[in-house]
Amino acid sequence: MITFSDVSLIYPNSTKTVLENLNLTIDEGELVLVIGPTGSGKSSLLRLINGLVPHHTGGILAGNVSVDGISTQLVKPGGLAHLIGIVGQNPANGFVTDTVEEELAFGMETLNIAPDVMRKRVEEILDLLSLAPLRNRSLATLSGGEQQRVAIGSALVMHPKVLVLDEPTSALDPIAAEEVLSILHRLVNDLGLTIVIAEHKLERVIQFADRIVHIDGVGNARVGTPSQIMSDSDIAPPIVHLARALGLADAGLSVRDMRRLSEDIRNATYSPRIVESANGGECVVESKNLSCTYGEKIVLRDINLQFHEGEIIAVMGRNGAGKSTLLRSIVGLNNAEKGSVRVQGHDPAKLNGSARRESVGFIPQEPSDLLYGQSVLMECTQADKDNEVDKGTTFALLNELVPGISAHTHPRDLSEGQRLALALCVVLSAKPRILILDEPTRGLDYQAKNHLVATLLRYASVLKKTVILATHDVELVAELASRVIFLADGDVVADGPTLDVLLSSPAFAPQVAKVMSPQPWLTVKDVVSALETR
Amino acid sequence: MKRMQHPLTWWIWSIALAFEITRLNNAWISIVVVGVAFLVVRTFREDAPWGKSFESAFKLGLWIIAIRCIFGVLIGTPIPGTTLIKLPILPLPQWMAGIRIGGAVTQERLFSTFHEGVILAAILIIFGAASSLTSPHRLLRVLPFAIYQFGLALVIATSLVPQMVRSISRIKDAQYLRGQQLSLKRTLIPLLEESLARCLDLAAAMDSRGYGSLKTRSRYRPISWNVSDTFIVLAALLSFLNPYALLINCAAPLILMRRKTMVRTS
Repeated sequence: MITFSDVSLIYPNSTKTVLENLNLTIDEGELVLVIGPTGSGKSSLLRLINGLVPHHTGGILAGNVSVDGISTQLVKPGGLAHLIGIVGQNPANGFVTDTVEEELAFGMETLNIAPDVMRKRVEEILDLLSLAPLRNRSLATLSGGEQQRVAIGSALVMHPKVLVLDEPTSALDPIAAEEVLSILHRLVNDLGLTIVIAEHKLERVIQFADRIVHIDGVGNARVGTPSQIMSDSDIAPPIVHLARALGLADAGLSVRDMRRLSEDIRNATYSPRIVESANGGECVVESKNLSCTYGEKIVLRDINLQFHEGEIIAVMGRNGAGKSTLLRSIVGLNNAEKGSVRVQGHDPAKLNGSARRESVGFIPQEPSDLLYGQSVLMECTQADKDNEVDKGTTFALLNELVPGISAHTHPRDLSEGQRLALALCVVLSAKPRILILDEPTRGLDYQAKNHLVATLLRYASVLKKTVILATHDVELVAELASRVIFLADGDVVADGPTLDVLLSSPAFAPQVAKVMSPQPWLTVKDVVSALETR
Repeated sequence: MKRMQHPLTWWIWSIALAFEITRLNNAWISIVVVGVAFLVVRTFREDAPWGKSFESAFKLGLWIIAIRCIFGVLIGTPIPGTTLIKLPILPLPQWMAGIRIGGAVTQERLFSTFHEGVILAAILIIFGAASSLTSPHRLLRVLPFAIYQFGLALVIATSLVPQMVRSISRIKDAQYLRGQQLSLKRTLIPLLEESLARCLDLAAAMDSRGYGSLKTRSRYRPISWNVSDTFIVLAALLSFLNPYALLINCAAPLILMRRKTMVRTS
């Protein structure tokens, strides 16, 4: 269906080849997963399929990409619209119309499909993706998962033979992600659709993939079945790391296979696990009967929480559960309707200048909001000046965190992970008592995530600071957090040590816990240390 | 599903109303017309973001009246009549003769500025009603294909503006939390970079969905021209001939509204 023959790609003003002599044939009805570190060219590979690269982005392409016999060199992306549906990283950025139904119809209208055919297809898609209750809703009012479903629907409605998705689950909570992926799986099986996905969170998608393309960012690509690639790949979901640690070479990639093979490990008896509690430090943030409303809607309802020194708290919950509102209340951006938040005894809304920098550090969902300098160096110098620390402190911190960033790079040209690291260093050089992060792992690869985990753990334990993060990333929470707060519809429904909260909810349990249930282990490290001390 | 009028219908209707308001130049009639517009918007508008433009136009209108009254009373030529209060007169140099700041506030002068303000605000509110009743995107769809590049730009602009407003507040928050003074440069650079990236995304999405690749495009839910559209437009056109046809212009949608509620109850 899709053929890459001797494809090489290089962007102008770049010394790095994105792809070199890639040969790849994707058959009809295959689900192919593209993996690789951030900035390695996964999106470029996807956009080559319908010719957005190089028609829309520039770049020098050698070799040929053809889809269903049509070469992308000869037609523009629009000419392949009937064949390829493409869903971008952020679906909301690609919406053209106002309502769900109109958005579904838009692509068909441009292809001049007869109205009665359109009506039928729209109805089909509404049913297939269970969008019927939303048909007249305005796109702006949909949740992240619903928007993703509409974007997939508006690609599918053209009856394409190929569906291309760029990180379809990165912004979704685990339940919404599961929904989207099971739909994709069904489409492959029922309709023989060919699907190409790029995704960082392998634990979510790998069990659906037929083949994996692993690109390393300097031109090399490996193609193989998931078990081939996962046998020695450095990018691997926790389940593969677990299999490696346990020496189960061909353990498969699904929780089911792993459970079958690890039965004796699970059933052995272990000394009960002692979890040291981080509580006991001074209370730095306290909320009393905090309630917030947004228009008519109650977002937070009577929240009573205390956060202590040295704790790492993960705030979890589905999209729209009130996580961001809670964080915004703590940093003082949200006026409480009732109740109060005190940060070290002060009202956070009244903190200014350096007093604010030293007490609360905030990394927003888009770390680039904080950055405005023309180079990494300028950004670091500004931070040194603002935070009244010695010249070069911030840059040194950055080098420690992610070595090898050139001081003269423009922040926009950094990869997602590097940009987060830069924003983190700018905030951390003031050594705030409380560090708050909103969805820090969107678009981060495993390596960048490990860096983040190490940095935050050190920050919390060595410097005795408090870290609060809102996230959907269960694996990150398992590695990092000491305490989890679970919000649902504005209420705190669970608050306790990470182990207890994550184990009690199957949807939000990390992969290792699913494999090893009922043993109380969340990460590969937990399993290994339990086996050692047995 | 609500049955919708043709988008051009509402624009013609409101242009006619605005025309009549200026021609009759009567604040009381303007207020009645705004009331009619309110009724019509309440019945015919959709539950969508642009549906709220009537409210914003109404608020803006009240501001205009207030500001106009303040300036009209403080500055300008006096109209003799019953004096309400006397303000001190600000001495001005000789060459500014004819302009006066302060002085006696007469009932007549207050009344005339208020009157002008009401008419100005009413025109604004009427256009707010029109944009409340029709989606900008639907209006775009009735425009001919020849200006499709214009359409592309319009779609990008209409989806970008609300997005930019949200981005600005987000970036401002982030900068504030970094403990920094707000500055134009610090807000503008991330904003422009983000907006540009967003525009490219949208253009790429439209391109890969085939926008503009064919000369003709079909219409899902074709926007049809109905008897009721003809009825409203005819009533509107009448009022260009005779100002008192305003009555018919206002009544036309109200008659439809009555029919609509009758259909709903039966």
